[in-house]
Amino acid sequence: MTFRTNLFAGAVALATSAIMATTSFADTVKVGFIGSLSSDTGLSTLRGAEIAIEELNAAGGVLGGKTIELVSADTGEDPTEGIKAYEYLAESEEVDFIISGSIDDVSLGWLPRMVEYQIPTLDTWTSYIGIIDNLVTDYDNYKPYFMNIASDEALATLYIDFGKDVLVDQMGWKSVVILQEDTAFGGAIHGLVAEALAPVAGIEVVDTIVYDVATVDFAPIFSNAQASGADFIYLISSVNSQVVSSQYVKLQVPMGMTGVNVAALGQEYWEDTGGAGGGISTLSPVPSVGFALDPVSQAFVDTYQAKYTSRPKFPHFNGFNAYHGLKQAFAAAEEAGGFNNTSWVDAMLGQDLVLKKDGEMWLRYAFWKPGEIEERTQRTYPHNARFDITAPYDDGAPSMVVIQWNEDGSAGVVYPDKFKTQDFGIPSWVKK
Amino acid sequence: MFQILIQGLLLSGLYALIAVGFTLIFSVGRVLNLAYGVSLMVGGYTFFYTAQVLEMPKLVGVLLAIVVGAVFGLLKYRLLVKPLKGDHVAIEISTLILAVVIQAGIILVFGDATKILHSIIDGVWQFGTVSITANNVAAALGSWVLILGLYAFIKKTHIGRAMQAVSMDQKGAAISGVEPDKVNAATWVISGALGAAAGVFFASYTQLSPSMWVAPLIIAVAIVIVGGIGSIIGTLIVAHIIGFMEIITTTLFAAELRGVFTMILIIAVLVIRPRGLFGREEL
Repeated sequence: MTFRTNLFAGAVALATSAIMATTSFADTVKVGFIGSLSSDTGLSTLRGAEIAIEELNAAGGVLGGKTIELVSADTGEDPTEGIKAYEYLAESEEVDFIISGSIDDVSLGWLPRMVEYQIPTLDTWTSYIGIIDNLVTDYDNYKPYFMNIASDEALATLYIDFGKDVLVDQMGWKSVVILQEDTAFGGAIHGLVAEALAPVAGIEVVDTIVYDVATVDFAPIFSNAQASGADFIYLISSVNSQVVSSQYVKLQVPMGMTGVNVAALGQEYWEDTGGAGGGISTLSPVPSVGFALDPVSQAFVDTYQAKYTSRPKFPHFNGFNAYHGLKQAFAAAEEAGGFNNTSWVDAMLGQDLVLKKDGEMWLRYAFWKPGEIEERTQRTYPHNARFDITAPYDDGAPSMVVIQWNEDGSAGVVYPDKFKTQDFGIPSWVKK
Repeated sequence: MFQILIQGLLLSGLYALIAVGFTLIFSVGRVLNLAYGVSLMVGGYTFFYTAQVLEMPKLVGVLLAIVVGAVFGLLKYRLLVKPLKGDHVAIEISTLILAVVIQAGIILVFGDATKILHSIIDGVWQFGTVSITANNVAAALGSWVLILGLYAFIKKTHIGRAMQAVSMDQKGAAISGVEPDKVNAATWVISGALGAAAGVFFASYTQLSPSMWVAPLIIAVAIVIVGGIGSIIGTLIVAHIIGFMEIITTTLFAAELRGVFTMILIIAVLVIRPRGLFGREEL
């Protein structure tokens, strides 16, 4: 072949490739996952999203038959890596929508990038009320952001009821020693307990013991807790919670203990504590460990367990959030003609999925609209999951439930009464 | 007071075992083995896999962990340290990189979630507000048995005396007929075995995680710096100083200040007495 022929053939090949690439690009919609690819939290969201995407693609695609393509960016649960991950999704992958399984600190890290890129983003685990406050004060810049887990303020408000109804009225506990990790999370929850839960419930805070998250020997700490003379321990732990939990059990600390224990939120808690996790209770978003499932949620779990054999073997609550949330995001995109920070936002606000069990509302996936005031707190929660913090919980899912692990490895919901599957109790080694 | 005494003794014994394996390498091989903490991690995960996942008898799990630790120590020496002989900076960097690589491998195989080991021995005793587990007592006693056994080995056996000779003067030892390479290899094997045993006890006391190699390494370095390079007795004494001060700080002051005293002690010793409290003479 002559040089000219070679050149012509090369040009044709190049043009064909470019056309094919352009055509392929036009046939897909890109969704970015941001979160840890090695944590149960991150994997729950990722897998929930994967299942939703498979179902949508199997049903013929979205936005005129396009295929959804999922790309992932690993944060390693590090805020700096989270920022890089968001930039990668935005600039290199040019995704249309981002679904996040990030923890609070990581979300706070990439949030300014979301404001900069204006990419519709759904956060399935982070619950920091400060982000919702941003939407209240600067709506136009933050409106592509949605959070489909009840904000921590909502979690806390319902938890105060648990303090009064169960800890005081049922258990007769009048004094508490707070055992908290030395983190921003620990400080925030401490404020809730010391300034809201305890005073409202009539519980005296006799002492606060702060420990470093790197603590590996809790024996002296539990000794101090016992020496305080309090009726029970309130634990606030989000980092390595299984360590303090298991030592509580192994040391058979003769005091009841409840609180916020992030490790206890997942089914793997029993395995991770080596079976030393009984008696531990914690608040949890829904659906939680031990939560009775409605048929739709059960079907999702069945699909999940048939598809994935590695941990987490049961999706954490954020996996459900990702599954339903991603489908809602695409339903909104269908209505709005695509993802953007205007019509898509309005369409997403209109999404409302009610899941019923035995004929009554059990879970609800919807969002608080700007300007809508929650009757109990008398404030707004724009773009936050539409939670309900007032019995009979017929306007939304409860913002949280309290779960308790039993000494045989089973777990159940102990509060609120509507969702209760067992009574709250104390470990067998604690004298009443 | 009782709480401080008991919990201090239990913790100090474990710290002593953690540090003594590090002391050996530093004294005999003149190497800052920054992968030492990995021996603990390897031991802990071996015990987890054998005793907890495969449900083999716990004693078998402990012994296997020690064997794996010993082999790991030997491989480190043969494949990494010996080829880089003499270049201490390269060895330190290489051992640190090795630690990071192995951590990634552990995450790949076991995941990054923290795990809790079953107790080696079940049971707990309550003394007022103080809870003491049989497992922690066993870990402390086990640590002492190993430490005393090592001391006897160093003082009474031929290879032990050879290790002492090499720690004092490698060239002089070689002239006297000691084979430094064999002694170094034996030291790394023993250090790896001790580290693995310490890892089993440490993990059963606290937790098992891919990052668990860091804290023991810091403890070991702190004890060796403060105690003085080359002194097992110094290591034991300083381990107790640090162990008790951590318990005292947690009990009487604030739990979050637990590690602060150790850091202050290191700085003070480096400034006032750089050779350590017990200097460097022999093992």
